[in-house]
Amino acid sequence: MVTGLGVISPLGNDPDTLFSRLMAAESGIRPIAADGARGPYSAIAAPVEFDPARHFSPQQKIDNLDRVTRFSLAAAAAALRDSAIQFTDESRRRSGVSLGTGMGATNALEEAYVQLLMRDPDRLKPMTVLTTMNNVAAAHVAIQHGLSGPNLTYSCACASSAVAIGEACRQIRHGYADVMIAGGTEAPLTFGFFRAWEALRVLAIPDRADPSASCRPFSKNRTGLVLGEGAAMVVLEEREAALRRGARVYGELAGYGSSNDPAHITKPSVEGQAHAMSLALADAGLTAGDVDYVNAHGTGTALNDVTETRAVKKVFGDRAYKVPVSSTKSMHAHLLGAAGAMEFVVALLAMQRQAIPPTAHLEVPDPECDLDYVAGLGRRDQAMRCIMSNSFAFGGTNAVLIARQTEQ
Amino acid sequence: MTTTLETVREILVKKYSLPIESIQPQATLESLKLDSLDLVETLFEVEDEFHIRVPQDGSVNLKIATIQDIVDVVNRLLAQQKPLQLAGGH
Repeated sequence: MVTGLGVISPLGNDPDTLFSRLMAAESGIRPIAADGARGPYSAIAAPVEFDPARHFSPQQKIDNLDRVTRFSLAAAAAALRDSAIQFTDESRRRSGVSLGTGMGATNALEEAYVQLLMRDPDRLKPMTVLTTMNNVAAAHVAIQHGLSGPNLTYSCACASSAVAIGEACRQIRHGYADVMIAGGTEAPLTFGFFRAWEALRVLAIPDRADPSASCRPFSKNRTGLVLGEGAAMVVLEEREAALRRGARVYGELAGYGSSNDPAHITKPSVEGQAHAMSLALADAGLTAGDVDYVNAHGTGTALNDVTETRAVKKVFGDRAYKVPVSSTKSMHAHLLGAAGAMEFVVALLAMQRQAIPPTAHLEVPDPECDLDYVAGLGRRDQAMRCIMSNSFAFGGTNAVLIARQTEQ
Repeated sequence: MTTTLETVREILVKKYSLPIESIQPQATLESLKLDSLDLVETLFEVEDEFHIRVPQDGSVNLKIATIQDIVDVVNRLLAQQKPLQLAGGH
């Protein structure tokens, strides 16, 4: 059961703000100018407005916490508050953390390299290892809340946090834990990582007239993805325990499917994506006919959007043309390792509020992308009992999460 | 002239918001609630402040238990450097 949500997002740092802005097709993408190792650089991205003073007390030592770790702590604390869960010494032993991040502590890492290669190779900060190791965000979440159950970090690029949530569900299902704080965090908006993504030639060309409309999934004039940052965390709780304490339930994580595309490091495959969706449906004991909304991976790259469209058709058959499929990356951009968790949260909010967020900036139909992508504004009063969230990664990992409403 | 102890005190007060009167020569790091990572970070700042390098071989930091131990290490390393540069704080 999902009993708590927390987000640090380009469209606000609470689920209400995020969801209402998504429904209004508002974009968090904008030109940014930041200090790079070799002077200022400019790009388009979806940055987070994050004031540490709002999330940490003056007593908390955060100097040695990278931005990616601060995001995860803030989102996890918000999710736990939202769940109203009260830990005891006993329950902390049965509670854990499962977190995904693709890029890790990019800011601290880059700062360390600048120090190492451009300033003084003899003066790397003593905490460099403990600031930049990939499991540090999950570690600090567990430390802050005193959780001694499983502590896991998954790094599989853009599927990282969908995998983290799916695997956390298995920890509970298989009896290893009762509560898991699960999700993802990413803060990749640094000079070096921008240059690396640019070099791969997958970033969207900035829309000169309206930079906020630069990410256009499923639109014929799409030119690529836009990088974003943020964190999203959910509190997963064992079903009976959640019902017993009268927790507010956002939905039941009913199915998780995980597959891989072994043929190529980036090229997605219809087969692999469809397989992950089918596995998730089978895991949930549902059929494609039960799914009322799909939050697409929908990156806005030429190849992803066509491949995902074909994969949805392969799994959903005729129903592919009836089920709404939207890419909210058009607004919050691509959060890489945090994307799967952010979009699962968005899909849960959609089911809770019976409202479907749109695919923004879809103005030029692509004959190869011919499903109902919810172009324009969000749709309200949509009966939904079951949602699917897709995440497909460079490297090949495909992860699909399915949640359904629960009778309480 | 600022003494080594005074400079070490300044570093600890600034970094850990410790009350200055608690930083007595015989105070153990443990009693000040400073752990092994705090010691490593403190030595880093001590190195910067005194322009010295504490050896990496573990012979020094493994033996540091009190404030006086830090002061002794600094003074010893400064003495070794004396022919090269002026000793003292800043």
